[in-house]
Amino acid sequence: MTQRTSLADGTFAALLEAAPDAMVCIAADGLVVMVNAQAERLFGYERAELIGQPVEILVPEAARAVHPGHRAGYVADPRHRPMGAGLSLAGRRRDASTFTAEISLSAIDTDAGILVAAAIRDVTAQLRVKDLERSAQSLESFIYTVSHDLRAPLRALSGYSELLLEEYGGVLGEEGRGYAERIVAVSMQMGQLIDCLLQLSRISRAQLNLQPVDLGGEAAQIAGEIQRREPLRHVCFTIQKQVRALADRRLILTVLENLLDNAWKFTSGRDDASIEFGAAPGGDAAVCCYVRDNGVGFDPAYADKLFQPFQRLHAARDFPGIGTGLASVRQIVERHGGHVWAESAVGAGATFYFTLDEKEGA
Amino acid sequence: MTSQTILLVEDNPDDEALTLRAFKKSNISSEVVVARDGAEALAYLFPGDGDGDGHDAPRPALILLDLNLPKVGGLEVLRRMQADARTRLIPVVVLTSSKLEEDILDSYRSGANAYVRKPVKFSDFAEAVRALGVFWLLLNEPVPSRAPESD
Repeated sequence: MTQRTSLADGTFAALLEAAPDAMVCIAADGLVVMVNAQAERLFGYERAELIGQPVEILVPEAARAVHPGHRAGYVADPRHRPMGAGLSLAGRRRDASTFTAEISLSAIDTDAGILVAAAIRDVTAQLRVKDLERSAQSLESFIYTVSHDLRAPLRALSGYSELLLEEYGGVLGEEGRGYAERIVAVSMQMGQLIDCLLQLSRISRAQLNLQPVDLGGEAAQIAGEIQRREPLRHVCFTIQKQVRALADRRLILTVLENLLDNAWKFTSGRDDASIEFGAAPGGDAAVCCYVRDNGVGFDPAYADKLFQPFQRLHAARDFPGIGTGLASVRQIVERHGGHVWAESAVGAGATFYFTLDEKEGA
Repeated sequence: MTSQTILLVEDNPDDEALTLRAFKKSNISSEVVVARDGAEALAYLFPGDGDGDGHDAPRPALILLDLNLPKVGGLEVLRRMQADARTRLIPVVVLTSSKLEEDILDSYRSGANAYVRKPVKFSDFAEAVRALGVFWLLLNEPVPSRAPESD
């Protein structure tokens, strides 16, 4: 404050008006001297309704009694600073509603005496985002804890059943042994479900590590691995080379594995099975890929259910699986800013498309 | 198989029963001492701690350590063992439900010698316990008992 600010020439008022935040200026006696348009909007008052009023009309009722004391304290030691550091501050609108505010104060030495200027920002939306982030995080740790804690009783369930089979198998008889075997089998299945749940929740949280990926090369490698698992099946793989994209390698491999595994699984009834991977024109997207098979296909009426977790369109006895593969695919593709969809008709094979946002070198 | 002592740190009574059963099944005849939380494990490893004399403290040949434990967690047990020359060289296998990368990394960073996730299926679990027993009690050459204790 080396120079006195003159209020008369209007420069100060113009500056105040141009400030990005709501500004309220008060004199040492606590009466409002100037406000800007942002302050009118934020508090819902006309300028004329505020000028000359005690600033406390903008303070929620609960804090009104103590406010003049704080105000006097500031005028006695007027440094530029945030108001009530560490406190949760609030403003009061004309309609008596309140909002969470961030307020910083500065003192201006003017020809009309010391003015205190308060810059007020409504941070309700920011707080809501923080709240959402916090609840997403606690959901994550909830899923983690639950899946962890659910495994222990499962181990006991299947463990004691196996011991029953081993040590009392003779007493149980054939039917009894069958029941104990079912307990073991469904425990294992629930173990897989829990792992899938955990995996889904991890994908949503994973930090993307984007790098150039040779999708064609990776698809060829996965196809080779799948073929090695069942060397007796004959499937014709056609894989387009030179399909490249920027993606998180580990996650995009999960996408390719799931889609190719599915194609393998749903063509198992055919002697002339063929599976194709390639790039398709993708509209606005940088990269659009597809995996096509000539397997059993699915009823397009249920196409939207395909990508929901734990949804299956085929009986488990025909095609084994947990029903989270495509849910993971969707989650991963969407994390990459892309979309996934499928086209099919019963008995006519299926084509799964996915787009990615970034092309390598783009 | 051998008569060395194994310390099993496990708070879940079913997991304890199944682990003991798995040892029995694999003919591992070692005495198994069970600590049901991290504090019990530390009390066993550091008896009468504070007087600086730990010469008669038990030295298990192998420790099977769960991570999620009441009172003192598994990672803290590992850290306390690392910080003490008397326990630093005891092989510790983390045996837990978690396959969280952070848990695996933290375990190794805190001095674990191995990390094994408990399988849900008992026969797999029994096989894992058997393999651990064979490796750490038979195959692996233990630290010489007169090893210098300072570095």
